[in-house]
Amino acid sequence: MVTISSLDVFIQVIINGTLYGCIYGLAAIGLSLIFGSMQIIFIAQGAMMVLASYFTYWFFTLTSIDPLLCFILLLPVFYALGAIIYRVCFKRVARAGKNPTLLLAFGIMVLFERAMALLWSPDTRSVTTDYTTMSLSLGNINISYIRLLVFVIGIAATIIVFLFLKKTMWGKAVRGSSEDPHAAALLGISPVKVATLTFAIGISLAGVAGVAVAMSYPFDPYFGFIFSLKALVAVAIGGMGSVGGAFIGGVLLGLFESLGSYLISSGWADAISYAIFLIVLIFFPEGLFGRSAKKV
Amino acid sequence: MSKQPFLSGKKGVLGVILLIIFLSALPIVLEAEESYFIYFLYISFIYITVAQGWNLVAGYAGQVSLGQHAFFGIGAYVTAMSWDAGLTGYLDPVAMFSSGAIAALLAVIIGLPLLGKLRDDYFALGTLGFAEILRVVFIQGKDITGGPIGIMLPSGRYAGMTPYYYISLGIAVLTLVCIWFLIRSRFGLGFVAIREDEQAAEANGIPLLRSKILAFSIGAFFTGLCGSLTAYYSFHIHPGGVFTLTWGLLPLLMTILGGIGTFWGPVIGAVLLAGVFELANMWMPELHTLISGLFIVLVTMFMPNGVVSLVKGGDGPPFLYRIGPFRSLFGQSNTGRVSDGAYENGAENTIQR
Repeated sequence: MVTISSLDVFIQVIINGTLYGCIYGLAAIGLSLIFGSMQIIFIAQGAMMVLASYFTYWFFTLTSIDPLLCFILLLPVFYALGAIIYRVCFKRVARAGKNPTLLLAFGIMVLFERAMALLWSPDTRSVTTDYTTMSLSLGNINISYIRLLVFVIGIAATIIVFLFLKKTMWGKAVRGSSEDPHAAALLGISPVKVATLTFAIGISLAGVAGVAVAMSYPFDPYFGFIFSLKALVAVAIGGMGSVGGAFIGGVLLGLFESLGSYLISSGWADAISYAIFLIVLIFFPEGLFGRSAKKV
Repeated sequence: MSKQPFLSGKKGVLGVILLIIFLSALPIVLEAEESYFIYFLYISFIYITVAQGWNLVAGYAGQVSLGQHAFFGIGAYVTAMSWDAGLTGYLDPVAMFSSGAIAALLAVIIGLPLLGKLRDDYFALGTLGFAEILRVVFIQGKDITGGPIGIMLPSGRYAGMTPYYYISLGIAVLTLVCIWFLIRSRFGLGFVAIREDEQAAEANGIPLLRSKILAFSIGAFFTGLCGSLTAYYSFHIHPGGVFTLTWGLLPLLMTILGGIGTFWGPVIGAVLLAGVFELANMWMPELHTLISGLFIVLVTMFMPNGVVSLVKGGDGPPFLYRIGPFRSLFGQSNTGRVSDGAYENGAENTIQR
């Protein structure tokens, strides 16, 4: 029998898992965008997130700028960072296929992680604001405002990216170019420009996710790798190349994890989420919302 | 193009045999117990084996696995657990062989659903998920696996660096010879055919699932062997050490860095990366990973097809190809050419996405 109080806990666990999953989702949208249009598995996404977390930490402790403002302040910074990374590193490797880009992403990840460890020391940091502990109470259920905010931002980001892809000329160019780069190039769409734009947007999303991480969790320079892996798994659950799917995949993953650790034990949480991931893949080999990968 | 494959030339065979003799004699010349170089070679041999095992699956058969650390860990645990239980002894060939065999068996068991159902990146992430599950299982294994602390082995039995050196050399040579002949057999040609075009391969009568599983399990076997030797070397096996994703990523880094889908690529990549790791660690321990990361980024940016492309050449005449000894050492093999073409075609498909 499920008693009332354990039902409350259960609902609380579901809410926490969903909100935690939003951060996975945010990281996953960026990855999905980058992967979908360039076939780059950008494993350094987590390192970019943590970089944003450190910037937030810096702004907050040095100039006491509110972390909420960082969402807007860091967007252009990470947009530029993404564009630079693409232009400097990936542009010349893009022709060589998927494996070298993965290697390059890995090298960038190691480089950033170590640089962050040197710059900010490997200690765990956290950003604590006045409203960090404030939460919305509904009966016995508490929802932290920050997590709620992350949830809203995640959904907003998904919708914005979705609208960008569907409604704007540039979005159409991105989609066209990812479907058939040659045909797109023939129609006057510059592959390099489109790729730079996509990459920059992907990294900007990592920046947003990083600010969210800084507000909700303690972090250290190597914290991001797990996020990269989980975001990749989220992308696969949702279906490679599907933006909405990636966000939903992330939320589902967060949900599995917290349910697993609540119902069985926290030590098994990772195993459970990966097991569910494998089961999903066995039944939906292209992910839940994947378009058929078999292009003629 | 009638380029003679590397081992069929007399010079090439002679060169390799001389190299093996030289490497075998090295512990006699150098002080094996104190020489850092011997340790460096030991770790390089292990890297070469693991990288070549991955190259078989990913480079030749085209099935990128991110879960090699599962096989490495299983190999280490089989050795440690059987020694702990008194079934096998110290540096026991039976234990090492069964470690590899059990890793291969595991590869068959998980290969059936994963290789049967999943493609490309989904397969890569599937293997990653599987390996992570296995890691958690071993952490949670309580008394059977020793939990997060793992298994302590009697380190008093340590017999010096020399046996490790020879065993690792033996494993590396065994791996290279096996894979050398395998990729020239009908199985190996089948792998390449599957990588190039699954449907065409199937239409030509290549059993898809069986071939993929064969490649996957052979790669797992050699990875398991390395895990077993590592168990004997470190005397302390714990999930954080042998099931770490590092052992899943290292072969990938080394192989791609050297040149994926080529025979000598993983060897070059493994030795090169081991060298960078060890040198950076020795001279600038503070900046160790920074330098390694920078190295990886720079090499990939300027040689996206791997260091091997220096020798084999991309568009123009190969850089080192005109220098006699290099020509015979790295003479372009048939499979090498196929893979070159494949990656150029692949690049055509994904051009400037």
